[in-house]
Amino acid sequence: MSTLTLKGPYWVTVRQYRRTLWLVAGAVLLSLASMVALMYVDTPTPGTDRNFDYTVLRVAMDWASSAMILLPLIVGAFVAGPMVARELESGTYKLALTQSVSPSRWLGSKLLTAGAVIVPATVALIGIYRLGWGNVAGTWSFQWYEAGTYEATGPVLVAQALLALGLGALIGQLIRRTVTAMALTGLVTGLVLLLVGQLRWSLMPVQTLTAPLTEGMEIPNVPASSWQDEYGLVTASGDRLPSDACWQRTEVWNVCPADMNVVAQYVDYHPSSHYWPIQLIETGIVLALAAVALYAAFRVLRARHP
Amino acid sequence: MTRDGIALEADLLGKKYGGRGRGWALRGCTFALPAGRICALVGPNGAGKSTLLALTAGLLRPTEGTIQAPPREHLAYVAQDKPLHPRLSVADTLRMGRELNPGRWDETAAQRVMADELDPHALVRDLSGGQRTRVALALALGKRAELLLLDEPMADLDPLARHQLMGLLMADAAENGTTVVMSSHILTELEGACDHLLLLRGGQVRLDGTVDELLAAHTLLTGPVADLAPHTVVESRTTGRQLTALIRHEGPVEGPWETQEPSLEDLLLAHLRTTPEGAPA
Repeated sequence: MSTLTLKGPYWVTVRQYRRTLWLVAGAVLLSLASMVALMYVDTPTPGTDRNFDYTVLRVAMDWASSAMILLPLIVGAFVAGPMVARELESGTYKLALTQSVSPSRWLGSKLLTAGAVIVPATVALIGIYRLGWGNVAGTWSFQWYEAGTYEATGPVLVAQALLALGLGALIGQLIRRTVTAMALTGLVTGLVLLLVGQLRWSLMPVQTLTAPLTEGMEIPNVPASSWQDEYGLVTASGDRLPSDACWQRTEVWNVCPADMNVVAQYVDYHPSSHYWPIQLIETGIVLALAAVALYAAFRVLRARHP
Repeated sequence: MTRDGIALEADLLGKKYGGRGRGWALRGCTFALPAGRICALVGPNGAGKSTLLALTAGLLRPTEGTIQAPPREHLAYVAQDKPLHPRLSVADTLRMGRELNPGRWDETAAQRVMADELDPHALVRDLSGGQRTRVALALALGKRAELLLLDEPMADLDPLARHQLMGLLMADAAENGTTVVMSSHILTELEGACDHLLLLRGGQVRLDGTVDELLAAHTLLTGPVADLAPHTVVESRTTGRQLTALIRHEGPVEGPWETQEPSLEDLLLAHLRTTPEGAPA
């Protein structure tokens, strides 16, 4: 974290937030050390169900999943509050904007510096998460599609952190109160990510498995590690019926009256091979939203400070 | 850019703040300040002094009218609350001045203001108000600006520091031909230092000109109560049959009064005491 080669507003930004930079570096190193230690300490219990392996690591990974979901919110809150709104609230922007540096360069250097820290730190955290995940991947609550695991293992988290950066820059300028801007940015980032997350399973066409109808409440087995979507019954004409359509009539699961013409049952699912396409498409969408937020942030800046 | 020889020019300049209960902070301001002047910006609280300085510094956009000031690179501004980054050290704050003003930063000028009075490693948040003022002024002078905008620069300083820094400021401005606009409530601090006066009141320019011309245009008279026409009365007081008045004379003052040229303080006080309509308060 040498400040020797930094120039101009970049030097100022790094100097101003050097404690935060050390804190980020410390947090990443601590995560790495804890994860490595956990992997050495915690060994699989021989002969048991893999879903209950690595008891300590599982708890730690559960926390890690939650922390990784919250990471973009923390990034957004920091950019909006301490980096932007506080300058406007405390009046130090008057100092910065009356030096020989244009407003765009002032905000730009702040955001570039933040980005240059956020991206490698997020990538490092993803790497650390994947390190621990290697031992529990594919087991209960650590499937690739699980909330937390999905974000924490792929590039989508980097894009989410950059979206938070853009939203922070925008909201920090609009709400010139440090604490309010932090809270609001956390909220808005969370909501936007939640909405984008709702689209996640529609980003790729699902695959469908059909299986013959057998009596009993049995859902056809999708390939291992698949994300199971809708399931139900298929008629001879190809129409889909809810899974309990026959039960409604016969009171026996999957035993259908002849007039319903049910010939099979189906399951829609995303196989684990959809992980990368979905990750990359979602990353693209979130990056596009980040670009929109950043553009808006600079528009607001230019409108206020010629 | 500004016209030749004019450092700062406003034309029907107005600024209205948004929000309930807030009106025009400044309206219809027209003036031109020649380069090289040391201009005192005077007016009661809420007259629009800080707004005018922030508009000049480019931190606010005018609501109407125009203001012609040097670009960001060529002006320095010390805001009234002396904003500085609290967690930077004194040395880092000056380094910031150098980093943000590449090619123009004058470390000698900045250090002259510091005058070895402060520990370079001290954090800004631990400084007293007066010490912060010193750092803020060092940043402003180190920038080597053509136009120096100072919003109540001396308010936090002890008399000794005020005297020293005022002297330094005047010497620096004279040496470099810097134009200075300085708002202040401390009238004695302006007397002798400023050669130009801009008096704001209710968001409008009430007086504008060189101190010498303004003083010569006014007369302080004492004597019997009588009609003062055709002169413009700025302020008058009667004690029994005795009249004391400050007038802006139209032609020679002829009458039974004793006349003298007012001091800058007399002139300012008289103008500050009167209501915006021009009648004595």
